[in-house]
Amino acid sequence: MPTIEELKNYGANTDEALSRLMGNESFYLMLIPKVFDDKNFDQLSASIAEGDLDKAFEAAHSLKGVLGNLELTPILKPVIEITELLRHKEQADYAPLVEEILKQKEALMSLFTDR
Amino acid sequence: MTNPATNLFEDGKRTILVADDEFINREILSQMLKDDYDIITAEDGEQAYEIIKTHSKTISLVLLDLIMPKIGGLELLSTIKNQNEYSGIPVIVLTTDQESEVVSLNTGASDFIPKPYPRQSVVKARIHRAIELSEDRQIISDTQNDIITGLYNGEYFYEYAEAFDKYHPETDMDAIVLGINNYQVLLERYGKEKCIELLSLIAGELKKQYPQDEAILCHKEMDLFFIYCHHREDHAEKLQNVSHAVDLVFSGVKLKMGIYKQIDKNLELRNRFVRARMAYDKLQGNYHDYLYYFDDEILKKILFEEQLCSDFKTAICEEQFTVFFQPKFDITGDTPVIAGAEALVRWRHPSLDMISPGLFVPLFENNGLIYELDDYVWHKTAAMIKEWRGKFDKKIPVSVNISRAEMYDPNLANRLLNIVEENGIEISDLHLEITESAYVSDSSMIIDRVEDLRKKGFFIEMDDFGSGYSSLNMIGELPIDALKLDMLFIRSAFKNHNMKMLDIVIDIADCLEVPAIAEGVETEEQYLKLKESGCSLIQGYYFSKPLPADEFARFLQ
Repeated sequence: MPTIEELKNYGANTDEALSRLMGNESFYLMLIPKVFDDKNFDQLSASIAEGDLDKAFEAAHSLKGVLGNLELTPILKPVIEITELLRHKEQADYAPLVEEILKQKEALMSLFTDR
Repeated sequence: MTNPATNLFEDGKRTILVADDEFINREILSQMLKDDYDIITAEDGEQAYEIIKTHSKTISLVLLDLIMPKIGGLELLSTIKNQNEYSGIPVIVLTTDQESEVVSLNTGASDFIPKPYPRQSVVKARIHRAIELSEDRQIISDTQNDIITGLYNGEYFYEYAEAFDKYHPETDMDAIVLGINNYQVLLERYGKEKCIELLSLIAGELKKQYPQDEAILCHKEMDLFFIYCHHREDHAEKLQNVSHAVDLVFSGVKLKMGIYKQIDKNLELRNRFVRARMAYDKLQGNYHDYLYYFDDEILKKILFEEQLCSDFKTAICEEQFTVFFQPKFDITGDTPVIAGAEALVRWRHPSLDMISPGLFVPLFENNGLIYELDDYVWHKTAAMIKEWRGKFDKKIPVSVNISRAEMYDPNLANRLLNIVEENGIEISDLHLEITESAYVSDSSMIIDRVEDLRKKGFFIEMDDFGSGYSSLNMIGELPIDALKLDMLFIRSAFKNHNMKMLDIVIDIADCLEVPAIAEGVETEEQYLKLKESGCSLIQGYYFSKPLPADEFARFLQ
């Protein structure tokens, strides 16, 4: 289990997140690992791969809400970016963004599993 | 201002449904709200809808995520807002983007909470406000609408009508009173449940005929509806449509409409409906018309009556009421002989001159002033009898009218006895004329009362005989000492040269062994015919019109 300081170093806006969670650090630390189980990560990459931009948008949109609430900025930033592109169904190369999202997710996971 | 109703719930937690497919979002909201609210959660739209259906009475608010599996948030929102039983539950939408906010509000959301969520205090404040507004609204809607018809009830109706005027000052408006003919009879015939159905059927039809954007509808009381609507000329057609629809279910039910059209906006709202009501009241007892427009004639009559009522006290104090006397002649002998008189009241009004009792007696009978007027007339009559007794040798009885309303006064006999005593005359000097219709209205009680008067020694003349509806069966049992034939009855008999009926009525008196008295006798022909038929006493212009006391005295010399 990382400390709040480590999460801050990772890039999370912990001050903002904790003010939302009534300053409850253990609640915050309990919620973050739930992100790793979120099916929307899989759905996002699968939908992008299949070219189903609507489904991809829904997944990205949901992730944006959750990650925003937890202020997990490193994952949130590429999620916001991809959400906006998908909203307008831009013909863009989504793969690098998905990759970035998964990479940042792995980085966060490692904080929780490495010890 | 605190709302007293909300205090009822002060200690009770309200329940909030949190519908979001993201565990983390549900958890955060639950954590924020759990101290103040009971939380139920749903993981998708379908689950949320099921919970709303089963808990609609206890859920105070729904927090709704827009993007959810199975049923999306927006779809669910529109589903519940379109169903009456759920539409009252306030919904706050949880949304990540501003674009959805407007759509959500337009679909019926009370508010939105953005994601990422604001601080707990902000979330709580928005939720608190939404619940409070919805509960206040519910209380208003529960009290403003009549339970039976769903239309506004009286007080709220006036509020909404006033608000309508405020924003449409130039619109011509009509005020309408619609009522059900003989509702009391329908209640007896169909029972309460059916009549409630009838009322709600009428309300439904009125809504069709008078759509919401141009009319405000109200179930005022029992069988009365008020309509405040844009002026139009086709109310008769609309009334017919409503009546027709009602007739299909309740045959024989008649609806009536009193209309005050193109109302004067300087007039207070309630008074506009008073005018519509005046027009409506004109339809009472009228079996031909179902619709009546208020006009100046009605107003004139009402204002005239109002003036009579307000001038009454002064009139009594200043003795503006005068008692006139019309002689009754005994025609059984060769020459007619004075045998009695009827005391008749006249009102010498300082500004309206002489007012006929036909105009004020029915009015005073309705509002109770008649008791005072009768007392006045009886006293004056008794005093006059006393005066004549001292001056003249001829002693004749004088009859006074006992109005129908008096028959309900249990103290009537005592009042009359007091008058006799106070003026030092005999009971036999004061005859009582009681109109035939008084016997019919509540017969057994009235008959007992008349019987009592008769036992105390009063001579009872049944007035207006032939105009009421006494059954022949009943007449034999009535306590009476004379039959007084209705003036109109005599007039029409002569006009139509139909003397048979006249003979029959005189025969009835004969059969009851009481004298028949004819009033309104105007010509020699009438006099001779009545004499021939066996009528005992005659009163009318043929002998003399009603006279002031001093002029009447010549008959006594």
